Amino acid sequence: MFSGFWMTIKHAFMDRPTISYPEERRPVHERFKGRHALKRYDNGLEKCIGCSLCAAACPADAIWVEAAENTDDERYSPGERYAKTYEINMLRCIFCGYCEDACPTEAIVLEHEYQLSFTNRRDAIYTKDMLIDNPPEGREGTPQTVEPGAFDRSIPDMENPK
Amino acid sequence: MSELVTIYIDGQPYEVPKGANLVDVAKFYADNGIPVFCYHPKMEPVGMCRMCLVELGTIMRDRDSGEVITGENGEPQVRWFPKLQTACTTTVTDGMVVRTNTDAVIEARDDMIEFLLTSHPLDCPICDKGGECPLQNLTMAHGPGRSVFYWEDKVRLAKHVPLGELIYLDRERCIQCARCTRFQDEIVGDDVLAFHERGRELQIITVSDPPFDTYFSGNTTDICPVGALTTADFRFEARPWELKDIASLDVYGPEGANISLSTRLDRDAGGIVIIKRVMPRQNEAVNEIWISDKTRFGHHHTRAAERLTKPKVRVGDRLVEAEWDHALEVIRKHIKPNVSVGAIAGPTLSNEDLWELRKLAQAVNAGAKLSIYPATMTGGDIIAQVGVGVGTNFKDMGSGTTIVVVASDIEEEAPIWYLRTKVAGDRGAKILVLNARETRLDHYAADSIRYDYGAAVSAVNDLAKHEAVTNAENLVLICGAEGMTLEQHGELMNACANLLVSTGHVGRPNNGLLAVWEGANVQGAFDVGFSTEATAEMMAKVPDLLFIAGCDPIGESAEAAGLSKAKFIVVNSLFDTPTTAVADVVLPSQSFAERDGTFTSGERRVQRFYPAQGVIGQSQTDWRIFASIRNGLNGSAVQRLTAGVFKELAGEIAAYEGLTYPALAVVERQFPDVGGDDLYYGGTAYQNNGGLGVQYPATSEAEGAKPSKFATKGKKTSYKGLTAIPVNRLYDRGYLFKYSDELMQQRIGEPFVVINPADAANIAGGSRVGVTIDGVQYEALAVVSEDAPKGFVLMPKRLTSQPGPFAPAAIETIEVIAEPVGA
Ligand code: SF4
Ligand code: SF4
Ligand code: SF4
Ligand code: FES
Repeated sequence: MFSGFWMTIKHAFMDRPTISYPEERRPVHERFKGRHALKRYDNGLEKCIGCSLCAAACPADAIWVEAAENTDDERYSPGERYAKTYEINMLRCIFCGYCEDACPTEAIVLEHEYQLSFTNRRDAIYTKDMLIDNPPEGREGTPQTVEPGAFDRSIPDMENPK
Repeated sequence: MSELVTIYIDGQPYEVPKGANLVDVAKFYADNGIPVFCYHPKMEPVGMCRMCLVELGTIMRDRDSGEVITGENGEPQVRWFPKLQTACTTTVTDGMVVRTNTDAVIEARDDMIEFLLTSHPLDCPICDKGGECPLQNLTMAHGPGRSVFYWEDKVRLAKHVPLGELIYLDRERCIQCARCTRFQDEIVGDDVLAFHERGRELQIITVSDPPFDTYFSGNTTDICPVGALTTADFRFEARPWELKDIASLDVYGPEGANISLSTRLDRDAGGIVIIKRVMPRQNEAVNEIWISDKTRFGHHHTRAAERLTKPKVRVGDRLVEAEWDHALEVIRKHIKPNVSVGAIAGPTLSNEDLWELRKLAQAVNAGAKLSIYPATMTGGDIIAQVGVGVGTNFKDMGSGTTIVVVASDIEEEAPIWYLRTKVAGDRGAKILVLNARETRLDHYAADSIRYDYGAAVSAVNDLAKHEAVTNAENLVLICGAEGMTLEQHGELMNACANLLVSTGHVGRPNNGLLAVWEGANVQGAFDVGFSTEATAEMMAKVPDLLFIAGCDPIGESAEAAGLSKAKFIVVNSLFDTPTTAVADVVLPSQSFAERDGTFTSGERRVQRFYPAQGVIGQSQTDWRIFASIRNGLNGSAVQRLTAGVFKELAGEIAAYEGLTYPALAVVERQFPDVGGDDLYYGGTAYQNNGGLGVQYPATSEAEGAKPSKFATKGKKTSYKGLTAIPVNRLYDRGYLFKYSDELMQQRIGEPFVVINPADAANIAGGSRVGVTIDGVQYEALAVVSEDAPKGFVLMPKRLTSQPGPFAPAAIETIEVIAEPVGA
């Protein structure tokens, strides 16, 4: 019986494993899969080319992409095609990361944000505006007006175009 | 059935038709897909791509005895070709031995793919072909998975070359298989595409002005084995795997072309399912795997911004939106017992709509006039008697068959029939063209017979002595109505029927009459009991109560203006039109894409179409609208399903007896296979999953039927002074096509008239003229050309500055309004 009390007393004075979330948060692993972000190149253009491969790879059918055509006057991404609509239904998403694997331009990335909250189903659909990263410091966002012919490839050999 | 021979594919024996193409045979009989890029089952082989290499040999036979020489173990000895052979240029012979899976063959395929990819951009993620791309699929199936070539050495070419307004070319993706150029040359006969330069510089260019000027350009995107040719219409609209395909039918022409609607949800359209593209659906007896550009790109009217979403009711001189109940109530109040009633059915109403319209009109007044718009052609009953026999297929026509085209510019009026007639001509069928002017088909005609407008009947009567008719084993007559009044066309149809009956060319396949109806379901309207004679009577004496559905007579034709005199007009329409403007109640109806039903093609084939698109606003199916009005009138029962209406109809209309929805939906395996995993073979046309339809027999086909006599007066009409001849153009501003998107609008062009140089003494080509007919001035661009016979001015219908004449009309004056630009 005393050994039982002793156990209780011992644990009462040990370090507590719980933390007081949300004031304190634990760091996540580098490979943690949280909320998605749509990435941009250093020049501010969107990496996403609207190919819908993420949607095809998604086992939960959570992604909806509609594409449209870029012009040099109104350019969103390199090449001919960009995502006009890009939506992820966070209620459906199982954070498996397949979309990230499927993306040919590394545009969709699961980041470390895990605090998702919404109070109705509609708000659970994250639109392109919510997902896309801000343009890099000092760069304009999209659409951009660019020199004709400068960005004629959609998949720019996996590098940042200038 | 042709002679059968035995061939061995990978060790298995197969009985196959002698002389058939090896690729076709391997695919159809042995389910062995020999990969091809340049070969296409609808075109002559050229052996350009070398993807189809196989090991080929023949079983050795003793020269003298003809005995098979066997080896030590009793196996027949095979004499192998020393090198791999292209299967696509090989026709099968008895004792042929083929190996398709040896190391040599596999290596050859590996190499071919590797070479093709040396300069391929590999932008599959953004390529509209990605997901249904033969190159992609064959690379996965047969590619080496690595390359010894340098990425840096890839050739970079232009990626966005518009070939005309409708098609884009990506030069990097082209693998130079020449399918597109061969399709245009061999099948369509429009030399609009060509190769330019040689070797690695080889490029596709368009050599016509305006560029890629053909009515069939969309088909090149189906057969292009890569994403080099894609349509502007579908550009980046969706990925192929995201689409749901729904079987449907062309709404424009009498050919009954089978199509597949690729549909997907769309944000911009308000979250409804919409048509993303129209693709051909294989029906080897109807349109094979081809459709015209009008069919392919003319789907935008189904969700045009102008679509009506609510009923409208006349209040004073305005039409105001109302609820359905109210609108129906207003109609009911205006239907007094025994008022004179007329129903005008447009060519896009389905058989079910027509049936309910007939029931409604007759419920109001048993003597109701049931009429068809446009009232330019007649003789639906003649087609029901001596129309082409069941089993007629242009594909089976070749030498021994004579195809006569009378009074029709068939390329403009029924492009699929044009294409198939032309190809039948290439196979040896004799084409006779009877027309008052030169048309495109004349290029392929064995004989072109010119008559003067007004003398078509005697030209047809004279045919009885023509050597191409007397010697014909099979005879098909395709009859149009260019330059005729309704009455004259009736005469012409009789003359055609008479010729067929007197020469014994009725009641069997590949013989008989076809009428180039102006619309998709004119034959159905005749069958259900509507007629164009009724239209003519009605225009002369307008009934008190008018139901108009599926057309815009007042907006299209000058002759219809008088219809507005009716006391009460109910119009079912997709849009606000000049016809709805005179209506008392306007009811929003549904386009073909939102509902199901059946159309009867010019070949009397009853075919089904299925609901594909989300419903726009509160629109309803035409037959439901008529049924609710009838139900409100006398409380009679209404059907709940379209199938129920069809069943009722089939029970009452003798010709449709025994037809049911399931029977119309039956499909059989067709040659060549398309639409499976083998997109490299037939292209991206869809497999038929909606039914091949059923062709109901003409009465002359019945056992022991004695064809009735058809008499003509053979009266000639001669015209004095300058006469306007209304002609049909494929791209016009008709009721539906007018509401196309920008893309097609560019193709439609502005009103024009064609004047013979002799009649255009002081009119320069390119000037703007005012043509006055019956006190109305039509403004148009003047084209001065021999295309118009002397004394006649060609005036395209539904392409006039104001509703124009649909029958020949005397021109009062032609004055020049503005000289040509730049003159
Ligand atoms: S993480 Fe997985 S479930 Fe979530 S959107 Fe991406 S693919 Fe779909
Ligand atoms: S043509 Fe085919 S292989 Fe080439 S980029 Fe397009 S999808 Fe990929
Ligand atoms: S454009 Fe397409 S169909 Fe034409 S040659 Fe090139 S690959 Fe063949
Ligand atoms: S060479 Fe035979 S398919 Fe191209």
